[in-house]
Amino acid sequence: MMLHRQLRLLALGGAVLATAPWLLSDFALSLTLTCVMYAGLAVTWAMFSGATGYLSLATAAFFGIGAYVTAWGFGTMPYGVVVPLGGIAAAAFALLVGAACLHLRGAYFAVITFGLGELVRHAITYFEKSYAHTVGRVLSDTPESWVVYLTVLVISVAAIGAAAVVRSSRFGLALAGIGADEERAQTLGVNTRRTKILGFALSAFFAGALGAAMAVRWTYIEPNSVFNPFIGFQTVLIAMVGGAHTLIGPLLSSVVFSVLTEFLRLQFPYAFLIVLGLLLIALVLYLPGGLASAWPLARARLAALRSRTVSLEREGAGG
Amino acid sequence: MKLASILTRIAAAAVAAAAIAPAFAQDPVRIGYAIARTGPWAAGAQVTQEPNYIMWAEQVNARGGLNVKGVKRKIELIGLDDRSDMETVVRSYEKLMGSDKVDLILPPWSTGANFAMMPLAQKYGYPMLAPTATGRKLLGMKNPYFFALLQQPDRMMDALAEYLAARSAKTAAVVYVDELFGLEQFKDLEESLKKKNIQIVEKKSYPLGVKDLQPVLNDIKAKNPDAFIALSYPPDTFLITGQSKAIGFNPKLFYAAVGTAFPVYRDKFGPTAEGVMGLGTWNPRTSPAAKAYFDAHVARWKKEPDRWASAHAWAGLQILEQAVAKVGLDRKALRDYIANNEFDTIIGKMRFRNGENISTPGVVSQWQGGEFEVVWPPERSTSPALYPKQPWK
Amino acid sequence: MTFWLELAATGLITGGIYAVVAIGLNLQYGLMRIMNISHGEFLMLGAYFTWLAHSVLKVNPLVFVPVVALVLFVAGLAVYRLCFRRISRTAPSVDVIEARSLLVSFGLMFLVQNAAYLIWGADLRGYSFLDEPVDIAGARFTANRLVVFGFALGASLVLLAILRYTLIGKAVRAMMQSPTGAQLVGIDTAVLHPAVFGAGLALAGVAGALLSMVYEISPAMGEPYTVTALIVITLGGLGSTAGALLGGLLLGLVEAFGMHFTSPSLKMLLSYGVFIAVLLARPKGLFAR
Repeated sequence: MMLHRQLRLLALGGAVLATAPWLLSDFALSLTLTCVMYAGLAVTWAMFSGATGYLSLATAAFFGIGAYVTAWGFGTMPYGVVVPLGGIAAAAFALLVGAACLHLRGAYFAVITFGLGELVRHAITYFEKSYAHTVGRVLSDTPESWVVYLTVLVISVAAIGAAAVVRSSRFGLALAGIGADEERAQTLGVNTRRTKILGFALSAFFAGALGAAMAVRWTYIEPNSVFNPFIGFQTVLIAMVGGAHTLIGPLLSSVVFSVLTEFLRLQFPYAFLIVLGLLLIALVLYLPGGLASAWPLARARLAALRSRTVSLEREGAGG
Repeated sequence: MKLASILTRIAAAAVAAAAIAPAFAQDPVRIGYAIARTGPWAAGAQVTQEPNYIMWAEQVNARGGLNVKGVKRKIELIGLDDRSDMETVVRSYEKLMGSDKVDLILPPWSTGANFAMMPLAQKYGYPMLAPTATGRKLLGMKNPYFFALLQQPDRMMDALAEYLAARSAKTAAVVYVDELFGLEQFKDLEESLKKKNIQIVEKKSYPLGVKDLQPVLNDIKAKNPDAFIALSYPPDTFLITGQSKAIGFNPKLFYAAVGTAFPVYRDKFGPTAEGVMGLGTWNPRTSPAAKAYFDAHVARWKKEPDRWASAHAWAGLQILEQAVAKVGLDRKALRDYIANNEFDTIIGKMRFRNGENISTPGVVSQWQGGEFEVVWPPERSTSPALYPKQPWK
Repeated sequence: MTFWLELAATGLITGGIYAVVAIGLNLQYGLMRIMNISHGEFLMLGAYFTWLAHSVLKVNPLVFVPVVALVLFVAGLAVYRLCFRRISRTAPSVDVIEARSLLVSFGLMFLVQNAAYLIWGADLRGYSFLDEPVDIAGARFTANRLVVFGFALGASLVLLAILRYTLIGKAVRAMMQSPTGAQLVGIDTAVLHPAVFGAGLALAGVAGALLSMVYEISPAMGEPYTVTALIVITLGGLGSTAGALLGGLLLGLVEAFGMHFTSPSLKMLLSYGVFIAVLLARPKGLFAR
């Protein structure tokens, strides 16, 4: 029931957003694109890392692999083929990494996933230099911005849909079970290893596809700009600020965070990171459950207030 | 009551409109750009590029404004921080050109960022004179709105090879950074040296951000080349200099590409810098106009401009100013005028062909007594070259 | 022979710097589970303070190292009080402390880095200090690298000794092994936590001060060192100070020898390869307890 409502809402939201290229100015469209991209990245990150507690820093690697599939394939293959291929390449990489590393826990897993991203970045640099005698690749005849926007929107909507479906499936329960207590999940008959690897690969698929879709915006693809650790960190930040164990949290937070960052950047062209840093610290300290907890928290406060006034009125009436 | 308030509002609006109308003729010329103020690109962007943009706007405004076909209008600069991030570059220029519809734009820092926003400049029809973008690949895009102010790698490397041939050097060792810049320069250097029959006895590449190159320099020292050429970026330029001195590697020619032209290079190394060569174009002795620019920069920023791309950035602003004076703010006309005419700049006459600056020759510069002297080609030189290089001090 | 000695020595010098950067971070993580991503930013502050002292006040950078350590120790107390105390008190589990401290230190990173840009600008800065070549058994180094190596190694060993032999060190180690047990025997976290956090920042500052003698500095210089520190402490084993020291030295050696046997371009590939191989073989690092 719940799932159907979520999917209906998602379809509706996607349909509304799909009109953006014809309604919004170029800049507003571009900002919406950023929001949509981070929504896809953060929700799928949370789908795996939020549920299982395995903090992955590999998003930048998946994104970069996707972008490089575009760099290599675009021109010989149409955009519509390159994008899913980017997702598949990232998912394949995640299967390998997952099989090798998912027995590591906590910070060890976080650092090794980051290290693997760096490894891929340097490997691609070396490969390109040695065999193609270049480091960057130029894309020409790139698609119009509305095509990129709609593609990214489709991927992100699919990603959020997938996350919603996973959450209410046996598979999602198994992921959450791993996060709660991995050994218990195992004794209860969950194949934890397979579940983790599949979950990791699924989230990688969407990150890779988003990387492949976005790459055409930058004309020139080089390892340093597409394997940007910043994209990975920002995704983790957004998901965690939103509340990584929820679906709505990362979604909400990607919009709030992207718009807020952009607003601050335009308002305070020299000091926006200071403001952003302060806001972030305050948010974590005073709203530790994430943005998703703000609403229930506010509602609880409100309810408490109301019941108190009601009881006060009763008392007044009684007295 | 309600009607009255509406009427007052309309009246107020009319008064406001009347007040704006006469000012309309002298609306400022809005010039937008995004550049790195934070992140890894900022070090370069804040040395060579943004200080020039700001100083230029201030100077023009102090002169009464930008001459737009005879009408003087103040400049309003809209500068955004691109956070050293490609997507932010693209988004910022979409805002400036697509939504804000500024009158003119100035380019961002770095070849990569210029690549990223070039197609937008063409789409919206904004000419861009890029001070820090170099490489044949950029020109290969054949973007009619793009003009590269720096000399292309082949010119620079030809000049270096000619200089070496003139001193009858026979062997050279090369290290280069694994970046588009290093690879393109290296490819051209290989060809230039081949033409002059200079043998490359060792070539090694290294990644950006390297912290130690002593083992490589030791290997090269053992081969004892006449010339050592590092196609390097600023942090590595410093590293290579310091470590070559440490191991006593002192070839007849010691060349490091980007960063040698920065005043901080001399400030850090002091007498050690004597005789080191690198990419440069000019110094205050190049021309009286260059001297005036130098003095203004020191007065405004309390620091010297670098001896390579800073002057190219300034030249780009001079070209823009001259073109706007002639044809106004019609950007198509502006592009055509820039593409088809020759301009006076602080680094001499400048003309473009297919977006390439074909007037400024390749130059070799050398630190001598605290100034980065131009030593090659002879017609541009401000001082004779020291060759062979003296021992490290 | 001389050649190999020099190669090994360059590796150890780089490794010594890695170690001192990593140890501070490891202390904070080991004791309090604070994943301080802004570690490199405080290193950058240490570098800038030293550069300022050298170029404006003409103070010998080596003399200034203890001052930097003190300033950053105090800064650490303040940062702990303002940001991390609340997290350790309110978080229900250590995993939550890890996650929240990560986010807060992201905020700190933005804040400190941007402040540095505003104060000092983005230009590269640098000064020459002891850049004379020194001859040791035929191998040549710049004097400043040797000094930096000596200081880095010295600082690491002193810290190891403090942890091993002093009362406060024993308390810290007890705390790392069993937080509740340590509290039961009367160790006061309200004193120990801020002090150790401050010590972590002080070490970052010392590392920055040392680095400024050798490399150029800029406000963006910190991030790569944070990454290196994370790798070194995972390599050595989270929470193990000796592990961080040895892990740092090992990474330096891998880089130097890798550069010689392959090419500098393959160096990064090689060091990440070694790191990943080690973690796959020993999931808790080389020197896990």
